[in-house]
Amino acid sequence: MLKKWFFFIATLVFVSALYACSGGDDGDSKEGEAAGGDNVNATGFPIVEEELELTIFANKPAQNEGNDWNDILIWNTYRDLTNINVNWNSVSPDALEENRNLALGSGDLPDAFFLAELSNTDLLRYGSQGAFLPLNDLIDEYAPNLKALMENDPTIEKAITFPDGNIYSMPSLIEDDFLSLRLSARPWVNEDWLNELDMDIPETTGDFYEYLKAVKELDPVGNGDTIPYGGTDIAELVQWLSGSFGVMNHGASNTNLDLDPNDDSKVRYYATADEYREMLEYIHMLYEEGLIDQSIFTIEWGQFLANASDNLYGSMIFYDPIELFGEEIGSQYNSLAALEGPDGHQSYNKLSSSVWTPDNLVITSENPNPAATVRWMDHFYGDEGAELYYMGVEGETFEIEDGEAVYSDHILNPEGDMTFEQAIAQDLTWLGSISGIIKADYFQGGETAPQSMEAAEKIEPQVIDEVWPRFTFTEEENRILQSTGEDINKYVEEMRDKFITGDEDLDNWDSYIQTIEQMGMEELQEVYQAAYDRYQSN
Amino acid sequence: MAKNQSIQKGRGAVIKKNFLRNWQLYLFMMPVFLYFFIFHYIPMYGVQIAFKDYFATLGIWGSEWVGFEHFERFFSSYYFWRLLKNTIILNLYMLVLFPLPIILALAFNELRNGAFKKWTQTLTYAPHFISVVVVVGMLVAFLDPNTGLINHLLRALGMDTIPFLTSPDWFRHIFVWSGQWQTLGWSTIIYLAALAGVNPELHEAAKVDGATRMQRITRINIPSIMPTIVILFILNIGNFMQIGFEKVLLMQNTLNSETSDVIQTFVYETGILEGQYSFAAAVGLFESAINIVLLITVNQIARKVSENSLW
Amino acid sequence: MSRFSLSDKAFDRLNLIFVLLVTLIIIYPLIFVISASISDPHAVNTGKMWLWPVDLTFEGFQRVFQNDAIWTGYKNTILYTAVGVIIHLFVLLPASYALSRKELMGKKAWLWFILFTMLFNGGLIPTYLVVRNLQMLDTMWAIVIPGVVGAWSILVARTFFQQTIPDQLVEAAKIDGASDIYLFFKVVLPLSMPIIAVMALFHGVALWNQYFNALIYLRSEDKFPLQLILRQILILNEVSADSASSAAGSAQSFADQIKTASLVKYAVIIVSALPLLIVYPFLQRFFVKGVLIGSVKE
Repeated sequence: MLKKWFFFIATLVFVSALYACSGGDDGDSKEGEAAGGDNVNATGFPIVEEELELTIFANKPAQNEGNDWNDILIWNTYRDLTNINVNWNSVSPDALEENRNLALGSGDLPDAFFLAELSNTDLLRYGSQGAFLPLNDLIDEYAPNLKALMENDPTIEKAITFPDGNIYSMPSLIEDDFLSLRLSARPWVNEDWLNELDMDIPETTGDFYEYLKAVKELDPVGNGDTIPYGGTDIAELVQWLSGSFGVMNHGASNTNLDLDPNDDSKVRYYATADEYREMLEYIHMLYEEGLIDQSIFTIEWGQFLANASDNLYGSMIFYDPIELFGEEIGSQYNSLAALEGPDGHQSYNKLSSSVWTPDNLVITSENPNPAATVRWMDHFYGDEGAELYYMGVEGETFEIEDGEAVYSDHILNPEGDMTFEQAIAQDLTWLGSISGIIKADYFQGGETAPQSMEAAEKIEPQVIDEVWPRFTFTEEENRILQSTGEDINKYVEEMRDKFITGDEDLDNWDSYIQTIEQMGMEELQEVYQAAYDRYQSN
Repeated sequence: MAKNQSIQKGRGAVIKKNFLRNWQLYLFMMPVFLYFFIFHYIPMYGVQIAFKDYFATLGIWGSEWVGFEHFERFFSSYYFWRLLKNTIILNLYMLVLFPLPIILALAFNELRNGAFKKWTQTLTYAPHFISVVVVVGMLVAFLDPNTGLINHLLRALGMDTIPFLTSPDWFRHIFVWSGQWQTLGWSTIIYLAALAGVNPELHEAAKVDGATRMQRITRINIPSIMPTIVILFILNIGNFMQIGFEKVLLMQNTLNSETSDVIQTFVYETGILEGQYSFAAAVGLFESAINIVLLITVNQIARKVSENSLW
Repeated sequence: MSRFSLSDKAFDRLNLIFVLLVTLIIIYPLIFVISASISDPHAVNTGKMWLWPVDLTFEGFQRVFQNDAIWTGYKNTILYTAVGVIIHLFVLLPASYALSRKELMGKKAWLWFILFTMLFNGGLIPTYLVVRNLQMLDTMWAIVIPGVVGAWSILVARTFFQQTIPDQLVEAAKIDGASDIYLFFKVVLPLSMPIIAVMALFHGVALWNQYFNALIYLRSEDKFPLQLILRQILILNEVSADSASSAAGSAQSFADQIKTASLVKYAVIIVSALPLLIVYPFLQRFFVKGVLIGSVKE
């Protein structure tokens, strides 16, 4: 009796187990795979004659609260134009990692991933496994806009080509000349206070120090509440000043890595360089004397914005002041360029590569029509596509005024409590993301506001010639980066902040260097050098 | 041999008899058995990714075996000892405060005024619903070096301000006590339920004997809820290595990471964010192994000392 | 021991003071949240609001209630919580009771079977596949069934049963010919109201607050629970607020998002927690001593 009973239960359980396991990994075969090649027009619209359905997994940035990508002006318009109907499987950033991993792991691959924050490591891993398609030939044939950009700017191809020679993704790009966007947060000083102090706009690190010190003494806010320099992250200050001390000479995309100034065939891990030490000494001095906000390591955006609109800051590295703090306070600020350092270094190094991310669109092996999908994406690398993505449809979301695209009144001055951003999100989906190419002519936001554009113009002559994108690495190299590399970068960042605050004395510099070497610097250096050599030869 | 068989037969008969007499008890176990089997044991094959190089598209079964590579990587990490130390100290600190909710529950239990009792309980358990983001936001508001209330106070008293949020020395205190602040009231509930089960006859008898309130607490209430206390303590130990990493992450910065860097945040940074699920799984397994050892040890001790134990 | 003793009156007074003190300390964050929810976010962010509301405004609540989805969310959450709690009790109580009985064979094996799930789990993907293969995706069942019961609740409830249900009671009833099922429903459950109330409360609150399963398993917005809707309003990517700024094409939109977030984040807590705070006093009556062994025993 007992045995029977148990046998019965065991059977029951196993049946359910089998049921649970069955169909786990059976990738149902796609119909019409063969039709893919035929059903695509090489040029012009529609892209396909027969309507094509694509399922695309997308990261839906938080600013798109409440809009439905499956029924929104921009994608409806583009569907009608291309005859490709995209079923957006849009995922909130909260659960992006998990959902993406589920999509990859459960056997339900979408036809493509859009803005899904796939790392270079993932691209290579799944690319070499065949889950992501190599796009080299398809781009040659079906992506004239991207191709043109790539020919114009070789960096793009270098950024998206992996050591195995394949391209697994189409990138998010910033127009090379759209400097204002590539600068992100930029330095500002309070000009009213400068005038009050009878000082000029600081041009050297010495001037800057004097200004901050004078502001602290003047204390225009009163009660000692004035904050000479404030920001949301100390890294912004470090990156900006790196141009005055001669480090980070090829941009910030590769952590702590730049070109050896003495040997331009070698990369340098500059966090061990004397120049870097000198910079930390300078910043430490500022911090020690209370010229840098003492809460800069913990401040949140909300608090920063509130402080700024109380006009507490003598200088800051941030986005457009007028747009963010209002006319009254924002207009007090004037921009700074790069400061001249003690050794004569003066360049502006804090800007992003024109390749924002490599993984704008990734096509999977399940895709029924990769050629058409590449064409679908390629449109956004051209002027018309950029206009569609960032401005929308003429007459509906924007008007042409004096030859320039300007958002319609119902977006610029929305009814009721709605903000500009919410009005945009009703028709467009670009908020919080860069897709295709972003161009100054077809973009209206904080970065194209007059104050920010002016700042960019001032900075332009000092901008470094070449900004590296993130390098690509082999599997083996990734392994080292993820262990030794992570450890070292973490240590360096921690020590940077401790040196700045004085929690760690700069006299301990030698033991700092020693520790880094013990952690495996040599190995890391080799990895970087190999990546750079490939980058140069590509 | 024959003897052996007859013993087995005998035992079989005992089992059979037991089962026939108590089959309803086994029926009671069925839903739990099925649930755990289907939703926990079937997916358990996923544990193997700790020993594999997990590729999502190859699936869990199809990924390549790599042995203990992920474990070695974790153990040889520069930060391993720091992580282990911080995780253990933080947990021990929290464990030391284990009696607090018990004391509060005993105090609640002695309140005579029904309305007051109701109100204080509801109010103390409410902070449980405040999300960690907001709790950390409030900590920042209090402890900020410029605008924080506490530092205002220190300044007013002519003392130096303290960089609470960036100080490795303060991190543990702030983390643990803010946790208590949030969950103390909530944690009393389970003890209150246990106290509600105390046989009132015991109290009546004690009253007749002239026992004071304090004596009745120490001699009746505490012994009565001791099994609950012991079980909760053991179960707590079973989760020893787990720390609510979201709060740590929100409170963490480069300046306090000397003490705030714990295994969970490390796994989050190097495992989850980078999509290294195998590595994360290996570290998780390491934690589970420690927890099992602790669980068995504590259970053994509990059995010897108090006669209350899980098994 | 007598050195130690206090008069009952003094004890009462001291105890009252102690509870009052603890309550005052703990009540502070509550007042803070309530005040912050109706203060100007600017005052909150700059630390000017620290006890009572500053620059009174109800915009936060307005923003929250403007969202129509909120009511659907409430409805869904109430449904999920109610159904989830019932299933939870149905799974939990019989098993915990059975485990508390001496007659159950293989107790150690059962315990490890249960404990093991507390220590190890297969991870997200295998669990997802099970849920998917049981056709639960995008249904209420994906919210209420996975995680319906945990080792913790079973073991705590079992201890309670061991403690409050005397063996003699069970044996006596059995001699009278009562079956286990009868015994469980007619004798054990009525004696166990406190633990039932606590378990219902714990699981109910967990269900009420959870959003992660919904994020993974639900697709249709009309099935979203309250917490998911509230998170969308809050639109704050909690852990990686830093990286959001760099990923945003326009910092302005991020700043705008931050402003909305600081406006609604406190109101959101109140909106989501209030129903549970109201429920508690009702559950509390089950904790009251009296439904007791003495009264049923005769």
